[in-house]
This record gives sequence, structure tokens and C-alpha cells, in this order.
Amino acid sequence: MQVIEHESLILKDLLSSDFFNENLLSATKALADGPLAELADDIDRKGFYPKSVLMKLGEIGALSAHMAPSSDCGRSADYGLAIQVMTEVGRVCGSTAFMMWCHLVCGVYMEQSDNPALMGERLANHNQGITLGATGMSNPMKTFAGIETFLLHARKVDGGWLVNGTLPWVSNIGPDHYFGAVADLEATEDTAEKSEVMFMVQCDAVGVELRNCPSFSGMEGTNTWAVKLTDYFVGPNELIAHPVRPFIGRIRAAFILLQTGMGLGAAQGAIDSMWVVERTLGHVNEFLDDRPDDLQDELDGLKARIMELAKTPFGTEKEFLIDVLDSRAHASELALRAAQSALLHQGARGYLMTSNVQRRVRESHFVAIVTPAVKHLRKEIARLSADEQPA
Amino acid sequence: MSAQSSTDDLQESGGVVDASLPWQVFICRACGLLYDEAKGDEDSGLAPGTRFVDIPDDWACPLCGVTKADFEPYIAECPVRQSRRSAVGAFQSTVSRHNNGTVIVGAGRAGWQMAQALRESDPDTPITLVTACSGDMYDKPLLSVAFARGITLEKMLREQGLQAAIRLNINLMAFTQALRVLPASRQLRTSRGTLRYKNLVLAHGALPRELQQFPASLCWRINHLQTYKKFRDALGVLPQRIAVIGAGLIGSELANDLALAGHHITLLDIASRPLASCLSHAQSTELVEAWSNLQINFIGGVRVSGLRQLLGTADASSPIQVTTECQKCLLVDHVVLAAGLETPSRLADSAGLVWNNGVDVNATTLATSVEGIYALGDCIAINGEVSRYIEPISRQARTVAAHILGLAAKPYKQIRVPLRIKTSSLPFTV
Repeated sequence: MQVIEHESLILKDLLSSDFFNENLLSATKALADGPLAELADDIDRKGFYPKSVLMKLGEIGALSAHMAPSSDCGRSADYGLAIQVMTEVGRVCGSTAFMMWCHLVCGVYMEQSDNPALMGERLANHNQGITLGATGMSNPMKTFAGIETFLLHARKVDGGWLVNGTLPWVSNIGPDHYFGAVADLEATEDTAEKSEVMFMVQCDAVGVELRNCPSFSGMEGTNTWAVKLTDYFVGPNELIAHPVRPFIGRIRAAFILLQTGMGLGAAQGAIDSMWVVERTLGHVNEFLDDRPDDLQDELDGLKARIMELAKTPFGTEKEFLIDVLDSRAHASELALRAAQSALLHQGARGYLMTSNVQRRVRESHFVAIVTPAVKHLRKEIARLSADEQPA
Repeated sequence: MSAQSSTDDLQESGGVVDASLPWQVFICRACGLLYDEAKGDEDSGLAPGTRFVDIPDDWACPLCGVTKADFEPYIAECPVRQSRRSAVGAFQSTVSRHNNGTVIVGAGRAGWQMAQALRESDPDTPITLVTACSGDMYDKPLLSVAFARGITLEKMLREQGLQAAIRLNINLMAFTQALRVLPASRQLRTSRGTLRYKNLVLAHGALPRELQQFPASLCWRINHLQTYKKFRDALGVLPQRIAVIGAGLIGSELANDLALAGHHITLLDIASRPLASCLSHAQSTELVEAWSNLQINFIGGVRVSGLRQLLGTADASSPIQVTTECQKCLLVDHVVLAAGLETPSRLADSAGLVWNNGVDVNATTLATSVEGIYALGDCIAINGEVSRYIEPISRQARTVAAHILGLAAKPYKQIRVPLRIKTSSLPFTV
């Protein structure tokens, strides 16, 4: 009797979790195909920041699928679902999918910080999109990979640190936003070893200045600014991690896996636009490479691979990390190929500046160059693959 | 239905549209712009609710400027998700139309023999060889007999990879990791980009088994010329204390060879005698006796439980403490791990190849379970049996080359050849 009860409990949980997933995906799809589709061109070219869409995404639960739910509601943190949700958004608007990632990964910093000040109500507001956050981790990620050096520098003071320096571009920010960043610490007599501190920057705080960036070739509505910090004070309430390296090691796979939603979305949007012209242009398009059904097969295979990896988002094993890095690279490469092929399939109408096919070409370029770019991913794969030997 | 006839039809019906009819949408054939009667086009002075027939004939598409006659009724439909293919013949993925011919993974003996066999039969067929190392050619069996044969490190290198690539007219991708096979679209993902292949040949061999109690930073796994060179550098010129873990073929030969060079060897194995899997009791005993002239101390029946680096002494050496499960403990300068080989399964798994102790191949054709993919050398298993010897490799390469090039192929046959154990103190042929 006990066994039967136990089984029905599991079945109920499964049903409720499936039900939740389906609801969330269809609500996201409706939002993407409706209001977001209307705005996509203005977001891309006119610099319109879709704050209302982002907040609406928060309201329907699209910004927190990867977070442990606050109550026992029969579901658990689901990175696969978060990636699927981002794919639905990215299918329609790459900029918004990118900003979703900025926000989602900021949530990971808060949740994994173990800092009560960043969790609790602040995290709950973040997860619901009531407040919006981002990430300024391009520079530290490249620094940890030996490609750059730190742009922000911290000095220990009473009760915290003072941070100085400028990050060239941080997206999805504004006066009422916040983002995670890393500064290196000046060596002192006590700490001869190099170390770093990771913290939240509140954009409206004293010592924070947002500066205009030059125009980009697209994705202008991502609210991307240069951020200058002058004696910005980091107190215990803003502390994400100290030391930083073990923290980054733990969240690295999650950080990269979540990005795959952007690539999957761009690729899916491109494939969809190829089907739109198949009836009228199939007779000439059949001479093209990378036809939509072949790309869809490849995309479905990649999605399945990513869903499997997303089951263990905090894995640190070498072969797992290589798979995470390669699937992120594959998503970029597939987005590039699909966007290019969609343009060839649509011909002149896809070349119009207002065409979503044209926009997606630029979005796919972004997916391939945003940190970690394809080249960074490959270099990191090579580094991880190298045989370790005695010194 | 052409645009002209459709608009004519509408005009013939009187030019007046019943206001109760649903709004229609028209599509510009040139740019795909949609004119929705419900929305009109206020930028060109068409109020919402302007029927298409009521639009002046000189009206131009607001996006691309073509005329009203270039519009046709737009029928929203779910596109049929089946791409048109009128090409005659077998299905071919549109992803791999442009391919790199035969792509070989691995530049050991199997990889190079494969490239050579293909080139000998076809001077033009495109060949790409992908390898994580430099692709330099050398004879791996010599790594465990270098001192006995007096072969210098320089002499071991038979030909540089780049030179061999030029000689055989192949594309060599050195220092490149092969990551994943997508068999449906015939792509090989690598750390230097994705290759599209017509045929893929796995020749990546096997790697020293990784065991948790042997951290890579503390022990040498000598499976490659580059690693062997670094190991020899680390040995320096003075006699060193070396623990060799595993008294199989490689471990026993290496122990013998390093002892000849004057080093002090402790050879450890789980079995009670060296080469237990290929020598008889009596032969093992004879070997241990022959080794008594050298500095080889064989300790059988022990399992190493851990390695630990101790702090360096004044002369800067940091000895490694080797501990066995039976609490034996020894201090050495270097540890060599020769505890067997293991075939990496990353590529086979990603391609969905049948796996049976290694890449399962057809016993006569060496084809794997997936079309277009062959395998040879140390990474294959025939009926579950692995062969890690030199002899069959060139015959395997010729068989695979014939199949790839569509030439008459002699079925591959496994032949049992004598195994030479090159322990110079007492060599065996079994």
C-alpha cells in the first residue's frame, strides 16, 4: 500500500512539472510571437529597450526556471527548461534572448553566493523580473583563461573594498539595474598571493558612472554601457564570492550552458524563415547547401545533447566541460550557418534592412563573438584536452 | 494564381467589395511585404479598412517600390516542412556536399598507414589527417627499448609530420582535438573547426588508463614520443630511483631498459610475477633471475593505493612516496604508470558506434556499425577482442583503403603472429 502511494506521488509530481513546463513554454511563445515580434526591429536598430517584455517574462516565470523554487511546488531547478524558454525568445529576438541570459546568469551568481543579503527577497524580486540584473564577467572570464588582464581593481578598506576601473561594455543595465563583476585585489602585507573579489554593482550607487558606447551593427536595444567605477564601495551586502576562482569553477558550466539558448533560438528562427519561402522558392532553393530539414535535424540533435548536459549544470569533470564548451560552440556555428543559409533562401526580400532574416545574420554573428566566443571555446577545449604531466 | 488574374477577378466582381467579407491580406511578390486591408498603410495614405481593390493603381509597395500589380493574395499557411529535392539518386545531406574526402583521426602508425594506403591507390583523393599531437612519425615500440638499442631521441623521429603530409599530399591538422562526430550530416567537430567528410577513419588508438589513485601530475604515462622526451629530460644524467607500476609488456620492457641506463627500478604488479598474462610461471621466474644482474626489484602481489609528493630537500629533489594497500612504502624520484591501455570512447559514443571493448568493426571489412565510418589499429575490437600489435595495421589500412576507394578488397583476416617481448636481459617470443 505504501509503495502504491509512493508511486502515485511521483506520478503526480511528474504531471505537475510537465504541466508547468508546457504552460511556461506556451506562455513564452505567445509573448515572443506577439508583443516581442512587434518590437524586435526597433530593439535591434532603434535602440528600444524592451523592459516591459523582460518584466513580463519574469511575471510568467520565464526568468526563474533554472532556480530552485522557493516553495515545494513539485518541480525543481531545471536548466534544460530555462534554455528552452530562452530558445523561444531567441527565435524571435536575439537581443532579448541575450538580455535574458544576462539576467539569468546574474540570478545564478546570487543563488550560488550563499550571501543571505543577495538571496531572500532580493533574489525573489530578481526571479520575478521585478528588478533586472546583468553580468560584467566578460573581462574576468577572459582573464581566467589567460586572454586578458583585469580591468577592475579593488583595495581592502574597513568593512569591505573600494573598486576602481572601467568595463568597456556591460549589457542589460540602467540606473535601476545591477550586475555581477570581478576585481583583482592589490597585494598587501597579509595577502601576498594574488586574489580577486566578486561583487554586485548597483548602477545608481555612488561612484558608478554609465557612459555611452559607440553604435553597434545591431542589437542596439540591449542597454549596453561602459561602466566607470570610482572608489565604488563593496560592502558585505554586495559580496558574491571571495575567493573567486573556486566559485567560477563551480558555476562555469551553468554560465556557458545557459548561453546555448541564444544560439538555438537564432538557428531555429532562421530555419523557420527558410520554410516560409519553400513553397514559392523551393524550385531554386533546392540547389542550395544547408537546406532547412537538414539543419533542423542537426539542431534537434544538438538540442538533445544540450538537454542531457543541462541535467548536471554544476558538473566540473573534464570530459563534461569539453562537451559543454563544444555544444556552446556548435550552437554558435549552427546559428551562423542557418542565418546565412536563410538569407540565401529568402534572396532579395531577406536582404531588406527590415527583414528579420537580415537581422538574424547580425544576431548570429553576436552569438559567435560574445564571450566565450567560438575561438575562446576552442582554445579552452585544447587547454582542457592537453595531457597533464609531472612538472 | 497570378497577381494579375487575382486582382482582375476582384475588379470584375464589380470593384465593390461586400463590407461584410473578412479582411484580406496581400503579399508583395518582390519583397514579401504584407498589405493587410484591416491595417491599411497610413504612411502612403491608405486608412485602415482600405480594400486592396480600392488602392489606386499607381500605388507603390512602401518597402520596395513595385506596383500594386506585383501583389498577390496572401494565403497564410503552415509551410510544408519538407524541402524539395529533385536530384536523382541516393539521398545526400545538403550539409556535406562540400567535403574533405577521407578524414582520418590519429597520426600514430595506424593513421599514417591509412593515409599512405589511400594515396598509393589514388593519387588525387582528398585526405585530411586530424591529430592532437604534432603528427611526427616514429616507431612507438622503440620507446621501451631505446637504451638497449642505443637509439638517440633524435634518431627516433623518422619524419616530421609536416614533411610526411607534403610527401603524401594530404592536409594535416596537427594539435587539433577531434571532439564529436555527427554521422547524419557527416561532420567531424574539432577544436579547429568542423570538417565535412565522405568517409571517416578512426585511428586514434588507446590511451594509458586513468586511475584515481595516480594523479597525472605525479606519474608519467609514456605513450608518445613527446612525453618520452620530457621524461628523459626529467631523468637527467644521474641514476634515479624509479617506480614502474604494472609489469605487463610495456612496464617490463621499460623497467628493463631504464635499468640498463643505470637507474634503480622497483617494478610493482598486482600479479605475483611479471608478464603473468603472456609468460608461463617458469618463464617469469627465469626473467626475474635474468634481471638480478640489473637494478630491478620486482614486487609482486601488491596494489598501489596512493602517491604523495614529499617536500623537497636541500638538493631540490622532491621524492614521491608510493604506498601499497598492504602498507608497503617506498620513496622514489619518478613514477611510471604502465597499468594498461584504454580506448577513448568520445568519438564512437557521439557517432553512436557499436562498442564492444573498443570500436566494434566488421571482421572482414573493418567497417563500423555506422555507414561511412571505418576504424583500425588499437582502437578497434573484432568480436570483442582488442589487438594492440603492429603487424595487422598495414593490412588493415589496405583493406579500409580498398573499401573507401571502391576497389577490389581482400577480406581482412586476423592472423596470430608471434609476440616478441623485448626484455633485453631475457627476450621471449611467445
